[in-house]
Amino acid sequence: MTGIFLVDDHELFLTGVKTELGPHFDVLGSAGDVDAAIDSIRSLRPDVVLVDVHMPGGGGLAILANVAETNPEVRFLALSVSDSPEDVIAMIRAGARGYVTKSISPAELVDAVKRVAAGDAVFSPRLAGFVLDAFGRSVPVPQDPELDLLTPREQEVLRQIARGYAYKQVARRLSISVKTVETHVSSVLRKLQLSSRHELARWATDRRIV
Amino acid sequence: MAISDPKAAAASAEVPARRRLRLARSHDERVFAGLAGGIGTTLGIGPIWVRAAFVTLTAAGGTGLVLYLLGWAATLGATTTEVAAPAEPRRKLGLGLMLAGVMLALRATGIWFGDAVSASVVLVAFGTAAVWDRSGPALATAGRPASMPTRARIAVGLFLMVGGVVAFFGSVDALADITPVVVAVAATAGGTLLVFGPWLWRMTDDLTMERRERIRTQERAEISAHLHDSVLQTLALIQRSDDPRRMVTLARGQERELRTWLYGRADGREPDGLRSALESVAARTEQLHDVPVEIVVVGDVPTTDAIRAVVQAAAEAAGNAARHSGASKVSIFAEVGPDGVDVFVTDQGKGFVVADVAEDRRGVRESIVARMVRHAGEATVTSSPGEGTEVHLHLPREPR
Repeated sequence: MTGIFLVDDHELFLTGVKTELGPHFDVLGSAGDVDAAIDSIRSLRPDVVLVDVHMPGGGGLAILANVAETNPEVRFLALSVSDSPEDVIAMIRAGARGYVTKSISPAELVDAVKRVAAGDAVFSPRLAGFVLDAFGRSVPVPQDPELDLLTPREQEVLRQIARGYAYKQVARRLSISVKTVETHVSSVLRKLQLSSRHELARWATDRRIV
Repeated sequence: MAISDPKAAAASAEVPARRRLRLARSHDERVFAGLAGGIGTTLGIGPIWVRAAFVTLTAAGGTGLVLYLLGWAATLGATTTEVAAPAEPRRKLGLGLMLAGVMLALRATGIWFGDAVSASVVLVAFGTAAVWDRSGPALATAGRPASMPTRARIAVGLFLMVGGVVAFFGSVDALADITPVVVAVAATAGGTLLVFGPWLWRMTDDLTMERRERIRTQERAEISAHLHDSVLQTLALIQRSDDPRRMVTLARGQERELRTWLYGRADGREPDGLRSALESVAARTEQLHDVPVEIVVVGDVPTTDAIRAVVQAAAEAAGNAARHSGASKVSIFAEVGPDGVDVFVTDQGKGFVVADVAEDRRGVRESIVARMVRHAGEATVTSSPGEGTEVHLHLPREPR
């Protein structure tokens, strides 16, 4: 069974998520602040960590940065009330495999955790929109066009997600398998994480994302 | 030196059209009749500079006084309550050049008290203006002490003033007689500065602190007022409601509003473009029908008639989806691409057979399809029972 760990400084929310995910996963533990979270994750070695973005002491970014050094196999799913591009892009760039807002339905959250556990990426419609915005109208950058450009198929998949379709529906609408959709999304995630794209930087600056 | 001067007209030709060139006395910026304030407002220059110009011209054979009286007579009954817009250095330069021109002309015609008098009056008048100018950067803006330019401006102003006084006394009599006086004046001024300088400095900083504190208090008051009017009210409503769907709508509506309030201003998006228009469509639909509307917008364009039509069509489509589909949520996705604007309104509700319904449904035919066609766009409705509905609105990029 997939072992998960929860990090959130809101006790109430933590309890709620534990109840929702309890029947589906092995909830190894939870933490309410950054330092405790880092220690527990290192000793408990969960498969997936659900991490809040804004917390005292550096927030989700600090946890990602610290854990990635020692336990690169731990996967992160960001779970936040914020859906501002700053937070979303920062968490993804720091290595999160997905980003969902706290208004997500319990069933969708279970689905998202499973997907992250399997090594896939989880894109909400919003995130898909941000990525299309950042990479969208593209002029290839000479240094690394491979990384800096979304293929037409990847763009198409993102558009479908942005239109509110689930991976399964996207697959059917584009007549491809769900696995192929997941491959496309994972590859977009990789580009988003590795890309040093000039335009991404400018897009980020425009929106005051450092 | 009034507005009738052709040079003045030339200098003010670049004044934006919205500010009509009209001579009137200022109601709020007043020392005597408010004439300098009125002229300053019209020209977009701080009134202090206009006053300096009047004083300077008065020293030039009394011309300034005559002009002021003429202006005073011309503006009988004309009063303005406008206040000078922030001055542009270019305008001040224009005023300066204009003044220099008039002075040279007066000097050539002989209406002149003497070079020494005029030169020292110019120095003192504009030095004073530089020190007292309030239209430039404020003495201390929020969060930081008086800026360097401000301090530099005041230093230059003081220097000019002292220089003017010295020049005046220096020219009145033989230089030899006056040197001790100058030295005495300089020594007194220096001493005063040494004694009161630190105190003045500290007062500036205190003022800054006080200002900062006041701004902070105001901001806190604004935030608590906003939270009270919105969030607390909504929370109260939610506590009194026993319909879960209604609660969700209330919570989402409040969330959306709070987000706009918190992040909206810093977002750098078009204030009345496609994005914000669609966002308010989503908010309205959600409120009207108690169905969550998810919205994703990629890119943005300013609103035109055609864009307004797209937004209205999208509103109609979203309303239909919320009313008839029975879906738990409606999605709006808009993308501004190289070949135009595309908007998709999607629901995963019960769907319908397009051929059956389209004929008798005015909503779809008139408000969506016809509206798009009128603006050279198109609308495609894709739906089948059990599969949900998707309305695709496409507006091609306008030919340039």
